[in-house]
Amino acid sequence: MKLRVNGKDHHVDVEDDMPLLWVLRDELGLMGTKYGCGIAQCGACTVHMDGIAVRSCQLAAADVDGDITTIEGLGTPESLHAVQEAWVETQVAQCGYCQSGQIMQVASFLDMNPEPTDDQIDAAMSGNLCRCGAYPRIRAAIRSAAGKMAAA
Amino acid sequence: MRILLIAGLLAAAAPLMAAEDQVVISPPAEGSVNLETGLAAWDRIYEVASHPRCSNCHVGDSDQPMWSGPSYGAPRPHGMNIRAGDSRIGAETIPCRTCHVTNETGGNDMPHGAPQVADAWQLPPVEADWFGRTSDEICAQLRDPERNDGRTFMELADHLGHDVILHWAWNPGGTREAAPYSLQEHVDDLLIWGVAGMPCHFD
Ligand code: FES
Ligand code: FES
Repeated sequence: MKLRVNGKDHHVDVEDDMPLLWVLRDELGLMGTKYGCGIAQCGACTVHMDGIAVRSCQLAAADVDGDITTIEGLGTPESLHAVQEAWVETQVAQCGYCQSGQIMQVASFLDMNPEPTDDQIDAAMSGNLCRCGAYPRIRAAIRSAAGKMAAA
Repeated sequence: MRILLIAGLLAAAAPLMAAEDQVVISPPAEGSVNLETGLAAWDRIYEVASHPRCSNCHVGDSDQPMWSGPSYGAPRPHGMNIRAGDSRIGAETIPCRTCHVTNETGGNDMPHGAPQVADAWQLPPVEADWFGRTSDEICAQLRDPERNDGRTFMELADHLGHDVILHWAWNPGGTREAAPYSLQEHVDDLLIWGVAGMPCHFD
């Protein structure tokens, strides 16, 4: 089957029901997207499908309907996405395991809701767990990213 | 007798699931249903409407879906602080479909995973508010054009025949308990109740 990931077309020979997360990691070698739970409870596997955040552990390969963007395709080292920039400046990551999912969730959230309230930030991010408890820094970085995007 | 065969929205997209989603809309003849039979049909409709597979999302003014039912212990709001917002699809925060992904291939059998259908997951409109409500309250609501989106009983039955999120209630996957009866029996009950004049027990 054909998938478009980070702007490139890929042909993969996988079962229809293989989760997109497995396709990305095992077939395409894109290891930035993480596995945490496999049941939509942690957010570590978040990628974008046509810009909307989606839990790649929940999406069967045959149900992919749109362009996929992973953390590897969100920005480049030379030109970071505003959310990545805010993440570096705020030094959000502790162990980092949850962070690609956090960043992908935030990028899609701020795209849909550029001026979120604090309650909306909490609601948007409560499905992304961080076992290191970096939540205060995550929240701070979201506010900073929203500011950067508004100024851009 | 009028018979309409409605192949659910799924028919074109998912041939595997199409067979079980075909609903026949065949109301009893005008004047053939007495009050007692109509009220008995209503009681079965209420059993369905108040079952967690249906009522958990019919939360009215609240934008928080509920988690209740045999596998949940005490009823409580959807975990992870989920808010469907004014959009009812979570557009303001996290879209329902981030986890309840659109599924055209017939999976949806993962215990504890997010339920999936071949449509965008969402909450029903605010007016269709019946979580925790009584049989009389829901009965009055369902026959009130102001609160049922101006639908006749035939249109309500047709709506049930088409909406694949509603069909999920009878095929919820994982270890979730299905709504009672079957989709076809529920549609039949709605038609019996309708032909009886949509009676409520308090009439
Ligand atoms: S791995 Fe997908 S949500 Fe946890
Ligand atoms: S930084 Fe370690 S899990 Fe979030």
